[in-house]
Amino acid sequence: MGAAAARPPPGLGALSDETGLSPAALMRLHERFQALDRDDKGHLSPADLQALEGLALNPLCERIVGAFFPAGAQRADFPTFARVLAHFRPAEGAPCEPGGPSSPGSKLRFVFELYDLDGDGQISYRELLQVLRLMVGLEVPDEALAAVAARALREADRSGRGTLCFEDFAKAVERLDVDRRMSIWMLK
Amino acid sequence: MGAAALRALPWALLLLGPLLPGQGLQADPVPASEPLQRFPGAEPGGITTAPPASAQEIEPLHKQPGNHSGEGAAKPRKAFPVLGIDYGHVRIPFEISLWILLACLMKLGFHVIPSVSNIVPESCLLIVVGLLVGGLIKGVGEKPPILRSEIFFLFLLPPIILDAGYFLPLRQFTENLGTILIFAVVGTLWNAFFLGGLMYAVCQVGGTGLNHIGLLANLLFGSIISAVDPVAVLAVFEEIHINELLHILVFGESLLNDAVTVVLYHLFEEFANFEQVTIIDIILGFLSFFVVSLGGVFVGVIYGVIAAFTSRFTSHIRVIEPLFVFLYSYMAYLSAELFHLSGIMALIASGVVMRPYVEANISHKSHTTIKYFLKMWSSVSETLIFIFLGVSTVAGHHYWNWTFVISTLLFCLIARVLGVLGLTWFINKFRIVKLTPKDQFIIAYGGLRGAIAFSLCYLLDYEHFNMRDMFLTAIITVIFFTVFVQGMTIRPLVDLLAVKKKQETKRSINEEIHTQFLDHLLTGIEDICGHYGHHHWKDKLNRFNKKYVKKCLIAGERSKEPQLIAFYHKMEMKQAIELVESGGLGKIPSAVSTVSMQNIQPKTLPVERALPALSKDKEEEIRKILRNNLQKTRQRLRSYNRHTLVADPYEEAWNQMLLRRQKARQLEQKINNYLTVPAHKLDSPTMSRARIGSDPLAYEPKPDSENLPIITIDPASPQSPESVDLANEELKGSSHLSSSPEEDEEGLVMRVKEPSSPGTDDVFTPGTSDSPSNQRMLRCLSDPGPRPEPEEGEPFIPKGQ
Repeated sequence: MGAAAARPPPGLGALSDETGLSPAALMRLHERFQALDRDDKGHLSPADLQALEGLALNPLCERIVGAFFPAGAQRADFPTFARVLAHFRPAEGAPCEPGGPSSPGSKLRFVFELYDLDGDGQISYRELLQVLRLMVGLEVPDEALAAVAARALREADRSGRGTLCFEDFAKAVERLDVDRRMSIWMLK
Repeated sequence: MGAAALRALPWALLLLGPLLPGQGLQADPVPASEPLQRFPGAEPGGITTAPPASAQEIEPLHKQPGNHSGEGAAKPRKAFPVLGIDYGHVRIPFEISLWILLACLMKLGFHVIPSVSNIVPESCLLIVVGLLVGGLIKGVGEKPPILRSEIFFLFLLPPIILDAGYFLPLRQFTENLGTILIFAVVGTLWNAFFLGGLMYAVCQVGGTGLNHIGLLANLLFGSIISAVDPVAVLAVFEEIHINELLHILVFGESLLNDAVTVVLYHLFEEFANFEQVTIIDIILGFLSFFVVSLGGVFVGVIYGVIAAFTSRFTSHIRVIEPLFVFLYSYMAYLSAELFHLSGIMALIASGVVMRPYVEANISHKSHTTIKYFLKMWSSVSETLIFIFLGVSTVAGHHYWNWTFVISTLLFCLIARVLGVLGLTWFINKFRIVKLTPKDQFIIAYGGLRGAIAFSLCYLLDYEHFNMRDMFLTAIITVIFFTVFVQGMTIRPLVDLLAVKKKQETKRSINEEIHTQFLDHLLTGIEDICGHYGHHHWKDKLNRFNKKYVKKCLIAGERSKEPQLIAFYHKMEMKQAIELVESGGLGKIPSAVSTVSMQNIQPKTLPVERALPALSKDKEEEIRKILRNNLQKTRQRLRSYNRHTLVADPYEEAWNQMLLRRQKARQLEQKINNYLTVPAHKLDSPTMSRARIGSDPLAYEPKPDSENLPIITIDPASPQSPESVDLANEELKGSSHLSSSPEEDEEGLVMRVKEPSSPGTDDVFTPGTSDSPSNQRMLRCLSDPGPRPEPEEGEPFIPKGQ
């Protein structure tokens, strides 16, 4: 592992341009990738990520892991890994591809997609309820959560459809400064 | 200050006359015989003391012939004293109350005349008032009182700090903790040494009688004056409403630099006694910094935990709950001061630690009481502090030395600016959200000095520091400059620079949900990256808190309540109370929730009859009653115990609201139509008839209603535009009020709706449908719908309360 760590991954420059991460950050990520990759397979499987104990305790564990393995894939190579994590690059106005992982709206869209499991571009009541259930745990009875979800939906839903589209979601969280929150210093 | 102040002043003067010999707060209580000696009451017919017994107690030495009934036998008989004056008896409380009253009247006066207080911050006006009062007292020929340091540190400062600490916005504080600490510690150290060193240089060079001030004295002076003062910062920043980040940065700095100030002060004060300062002493001083700050925090945490634990058991004696909070916090402060630890940090720590647990345990009224008492005390304290600053300026011995004072002022400002610039450059390397030059300017400009510096200097004793008067003068000058000049100009500057202001809107449930979601997401990503950042530790702390701490410190079932649900609760409650208080239907919040949240878990609630205070549970019941009339969904309810509803003011408001609703029926219709969200998938058309019986048993006089029918929710069906309309029900039903004696008997009754209307099939699960509890519940659920029901017009007036 020591020798492999020193070797830069292939296509570093292109990846750096695409994701906006600096080469140094990519090197760090590559080291981390190799550390996570237990059997030295060259790619990550869901089990590798779930082996992290902190992550296993996280209520959103499956969703987060799922973000790395889109559409049911079982392997995640390093570019995928980097691309997902690039969403959390501190956005300092450094240039990157428009529409790339760290452009302004992309962080929000990433979060939106975590909510929207079925990918229809809308957060439905059911999806919201599921997220709430994950976060709140098992002790709270259903109707309590139903109330919270209903209220949240009602507050944010401006189109009256009963679901949240991306714009509704963006408006609801605009005060939260999502971009600032979704910044991990290590990825500078 | 205007008419009110001017009116008050002569009055104050009048009453201050008798005060003056006592010299207010400074001197020891004058022996009680003194005022009495002013009254030649010894001869017959003179002014006699009113209760002879008390006169006897107060002045055993002072004998007044003929006044004591006990001695009456041998003396010539006097007329019985109908009226007398015994000022010495009440002098001290009288004076104290008078000063506080003066402070409050001043505050009142400023708000009655808004024009001046818009330009000049209140703190300036108060200092001016103090100056005037001091001048008046001096003009009369008496010695005005000086703000004694003990009174300041023990009585005036703690309420302000506790208020700040208890309501500290914890999230912003912890997010910016690194920045705040750097400003507080490094910034204050830099200020102290820079200023002290430069003043020493000036003293050496100045040659105008300053040569005798040694390095240590100068460093001491620097350390006293370098600390940003929380009182002044609060007073000024409160009025300008800048954005939360800047507010918490400056304010947090002013709070946390207390540890540094305490250490430096004691350090230099001690060192001034030493002949030589060795390296060991310096190292010890360095160590003591950690001891002082961490020790203070530790003491605060201990008391906070004890307070939280105590509050767990106060469910039977709600009235003294606020007292626990205050007393434990004050004890934390005093205990820290006892060991020369940082009292301010202890106070902040205890407030921060106890708050989440105490708030989960205490009743709503206690919470309100705590809030209002803290605000009241801190407000009065602040006012008194500024007034006394003014008075002390007039009263104090001053020694004006142009060089010293002017250079102090200059170097203070320069040190602050340089410090902020340098530190920000360093900090910005590590911050995600950089501090812009505008921010830096405000931070530098907001470095106000205040009464803490004054009091610390006043504590110095003359023996070792015979230049104390000069220090005092310089400090007062700096304080005046910062408060007046900087305080007055900061508001127009904030507007000029277009600094972001505070957002006034409250947090919504959406924001809470998404914040938590993001927290979890970020924690997970940090785990994946292997980066142990902010979120990681916060998550660990939360987990620890949930697993161990909450169980110990929070009473009953609430210990398991997740934060989201608790937040939701609080929000609902606030809205319900606002609704009742506003009393009008025109203000139906558009985001009224559909389901009441009271019974998260079935729990047994204590019966509270004896207390006049309205407990949190009661509030929730009221809230649910409100929901009754605004809801459109059915809900599954579990059975639970409900206790009696003691007659309370909300009852009154409720009834009045009902009456008003009768009149505003048309408006309601319109509003209800607006409220209905046709595509909202939560309600069925039949739900319009089902009203949430969230807690109909609140009106049930019997405490042991175990049975409640199960009402099912059908969240997937569309909603009808029919509305809940209590007034409608009332009107339609009022004519039928006396229709059946049975109804009258039961008072608030409910009729079981026969499930003939379409869709109400499983609305009311039969079971105990004949119990009064069921009746009541159903009554709340019933609704006119398309055809008016005869029973639904009854007002919610519980009988047999």
